[in-house]
Amino acid sequence: MNRWRYFRNKAGWSIFTLIFVIVLNFFLFRVMPGDPARQGIRDPRLTKETIEAIRVRFGLDKPVINCIDSLNPVRFGSCAVNPLDTQFFIYVKNLFNGDLGFSYYYNRPVSDILGERLWNTILLIGVGQILAIVIGVILGVLAAWKARSAIDYGALLISLLAWSLPVFWLGIILVFWGSNHGFPIGGKATPGISSYPFFTQVGDLIWHLLLPTFTYTVIFMGEYTLLMRSSLLDVLSEDYILTAKAKGLSTFQILKDHALKNGMLPIVTLIAINLGYTVAGVIQIESVFSWPGLGGALFEAVSRRDFPILQGGFLLIAVSVIIANFIADLTYSYLDPRVQTE
Amino acid sequence: MGPQTAELKVSVASTSPFLDFWQTFSRNRMAVAGLVMLVTIITLAVFASVLAPYDPKSSVDITSSDIYNPPSSAHWLGTDDAGRDILSSFLFGARVSLIVGFFAAFISVIIGGTIGVVAGFYGGRTENLLMRFTDLMLVIPDLPLIVVIVALTKPSLLNIIIIIGVFGWTTTARIVRSQTLAVKSRKFVLRARAIGAGNVHIIMKHILPLVMPLLVVNAILVISLAILNESTLSFLGLGDPTATSWGQMLNFAFVRGAMSAGAWWALVMPGVGIAWVVFGLTLFGQGLEQVLNPRLESHHLSPGRRSVQSDAVIESATVKKKSKKRKDAPLLLDVRNLSVNYISHDNVVAKAVHNVSLQLHEGELVGLVGESGCGKTTLMLALMRLLPAAGQIVNGHINFRGKDLTTLNEDELQKLRWSGISIIFQGAMNALNPVRTVGDQIKEAIIKHMPSYAPGVLDDRVIELLDLVGISKDYKDQYPHQYSGGMRQRAMIAMALSCDPDVIIADEPTTALDVMIQAQILELLDDLRKKLGLAIIFVTHDLGVVAEMCDSVLVMYGGVTAEYADVDTIYNAARHPYTQELLKSFPDLSQPEKRLISIPGYPPKLDELPEGCRFAPRCPLAFERCTKEMPILHELEDGYHIASCHLVEGG
Repeated sequence: MNRWRYFRNKAGWSIFTLIFVIVLNFFLFRVMPGDPARQGIRDPRLTKETIEAIRVRFGLDKPVINCIDSLNPVRFGSCAVNPLDTQFFIYVKNLFNGDLGFSYYYNRPVSDILGERLWNTILLIGVGQILAIVIGVILGVLAAWKARSAIDYGALLISLLAWSLPVFWLGIILVFWGSNHGFPIGGKATPGISSYPFFTQVGDLIWHLLLPTFTYTVIFMGEYTLLMRSSLLDVLSEDYILTAKAKGLSTFQILKDHALKNGMLPIVTLIAINLGYTVAGVIQIESVFSWPGLGGALFEAVSRRDFPILQGGFLLIAVSVIIANFIADLTYSYLDPRVQTE
Repeated sequence: MGPQTAELKVSVASTSPFLDFWQTFSRNRMAVAGLVMLVTIITLAVFASVLAPYDPKSSVDITSSDIYNPPSSAHWLGTDDAGRDILSSFLFGARVSLIVGFFAAFISVIIGGTIGVVAGFYGGRTENLLMRFTDLMLVIPDLPLIVVIVALTKPSLLNIIIIIGVFGWTTTARIVRSQTLAVKSRKFVLRARAIGAGNVHIIMKHILPLVMPLLVVNAILVISLAILNESTLSFLGLGDPTATSWGQMLNFAFVRGAMSAGAWWALVMPGVGIAWVVFGLTLFGQGLEQVLNPRLESHHLSPGRRSVQSDAVIESATVKKKSKKRKDAPLLLDVRNLSVNYISHDNVVAKAVHNVSLQLHEGELVGLVGESGCGKTTLMLALMRLLPAAGQIVNGHINFRGKDLTTLNEDELQKLRWSGISIIFQGAMNALNPVRTVGDQIKEAIIKHMPSYAPGVLDDRVIELLDLVGISKDYKDQYPHQYSGGMRQRAMIAMALSCDPDVIIADEPTTALDVMIQAQILELLDDLRKKLGLAIIFVTHDLGVVAEMCDSVLVMYGGVTAEYADVDTIYNAARHPYTQELLKSFPDLSQPEKRLISIPGYPPKLDELPEGCRFAPRCPLAFERCTKEMPILHELEDGYHIASCHLVEGG
């Protein structure tokens, strides 16, 4: 019963944030100074036919919404306009049809371009995140268990240092080093690899994934170590740890059965909060390693002023983070039985 | 309560709080290292125009062959793609990065601080609305948003500062709000409100100073995040083209072929600069947090000190005491002259338990009585060798099952704990793990100590144990928070019984429970003792309980035995003034007109013990000798009754 109410609350909140992001994403690109969308249809890279197609598809000749036309400068439109005949309504309608816009640079639908790249990003984040969590948590447990020892101070310093490194810079240094040591300098596959057997292709993919993932792991590991350390230090000072010790359990048993699950709780929250920063890191890593993912697409879109890609990419990222947060909340309630009754 | 009593507050005499702070600060190596790193880079940035050997904007060497020149005597850090001196760009770049970092963080901290204080102080709908908004902003990935907005607007330095600042306040708001919540119900705030001080006045004068330390630590984090965000923006090509920051230097080098030219010098230095500042800030912030909010030195798994056996002869009567009622029962646990010291990190020694002896026979119930801070819990923890890391057994023996527990190693102790001696802690809410079912936590001990139980029978055993303490088997797979307070305490008792121990230590098992439940729990313990033949050491403040249940009583004061005797002797013929005073403060329902008298004053601090008798400062009967000489234990009535007081000397 409680579990259901908890689920409903969290789901409701996620849907609310989702709507907020969708609205924000629209206004960001339609009413910001410079009217990027309207400017876009004057983009010299597009053919006349495409411009006409875009105009019709997104209703760019229509008012933004009724009453307010644009925020720059604040222009008031006619409030008599049918709300269903505005850019905003068309935007929402398109969104539900999976239409994220039309790239000026590629002359292709944004959803096609980002769809291809989404999986590459999920692969990079997935592998990197798992490694960062596993290594970070292990280091954190060691540091907390051996508090105030050389191991503790070592882990603390390494984590703080890793946290302080600019992601893109670490990437650049690794590309620089890797290119002199036989590592691929970018992309996710050696050209022409598709004619080779499947396992050769997989090996090639792993080979390309190595340095980007390493960068990702180093950068994000530190924060998990720090949090795990401080959370475990709290847990290990709890009375129930003393009970476990009084029961005659060994140190290993206490860590495994009594400390780890409790100490992991804040980590789950951090993973969700971190996904926002993770995306920031991925943009940098993908740009440096020319990894064909979402982040790389955003980087290119910035330098190419390809606003539809930027808009679609931002929406996709924001939605992913909201979903991940929702999953983290559910995981938390599974790990901590107290949550459902609160 | 608990072993936390071991944490000693050592006051250092000082002239001002600032000097105090500076002393702790300068001892924190992390904070000092961070500060040095920051001061270095800020100095370089401030004096960039003096220190830089060249104008960073003009190309020094114009010929194309001079592009990406390696470090040389003319250009210490080499030149970039346009032949500009990298050292000079680096020094001026420091200015840009630091300015963006500090000013953006300033904006974030002002916004976040205001939202946090207002939400925390006003509460209600205001708080709800503001915190929902904060949660919303927290979910939206900030860097992509910043990238999008900067890409849509003109990338000037001012724009970048404002945009980074406006989207970086969420963590500040959350931290400040919870601190405000914690602070606003403090007495002086309530008092200020009572005398009619305005909200703004209260916030500025009373709340803000208390929130400030936390805000400063958070601001340091926000600065480093702002610097990292700026560098990322610049690296993505969204920096102010007129002000070259470190991120932009990297962007130029990366985009303009420094990699293929092998020009590592153009790539290394700007990144080192960013990492230097951020690392310096991080060290400084972490160190500052440690100074402002010191954590415990150790936890329950920290390696403890080995017990040392000085075997110093301690002047006292040999304890022969044996309960009159139980004198035929065999001796189970024999504690002899046990002393425990706590040693703080400043090597201040607190003699928490000094020369205490205790005998426990089969089926006996010994009451351990005394005010808080008299060493009762320390003694109990020492019996199971569960002392916190700072605690050390410095003298005495604990004989149990033919072994001296003070000499056992960790493995041997683990086998003995729970199967030989188990403990019921006070406050079962915290003593049970909140994320595991109660049944599971009971089962765990049985698996450890009684491996002969087949998995199928295990559940039956758990149900049987729960039944024994009156908990329905339906609760076996429930979590502690689903139990009531009394049930948790019962579950704790079931757990303590699970491995058939000879001795159970009950450390104030009924505090924080209401009177009815207390009575039930006590009755249960007494029943179980009779049914299972347990020997129990019962730690309590409650002399009523002692009178009703115990066979003998050990009264502790300031870490030493005040009096130790049969329960009847204690109630009818107490000899130690402390025992007598304690009895006066215990309500006797048969004489309702008698006033309750509490003993004025407090037990001594264990690291500042008086020279003579530890009770002398509060003793109504103290005379000169009491303040000079510590009394030894005197034997009365054939060793069945002992007391440490000069008044009872020689019987």
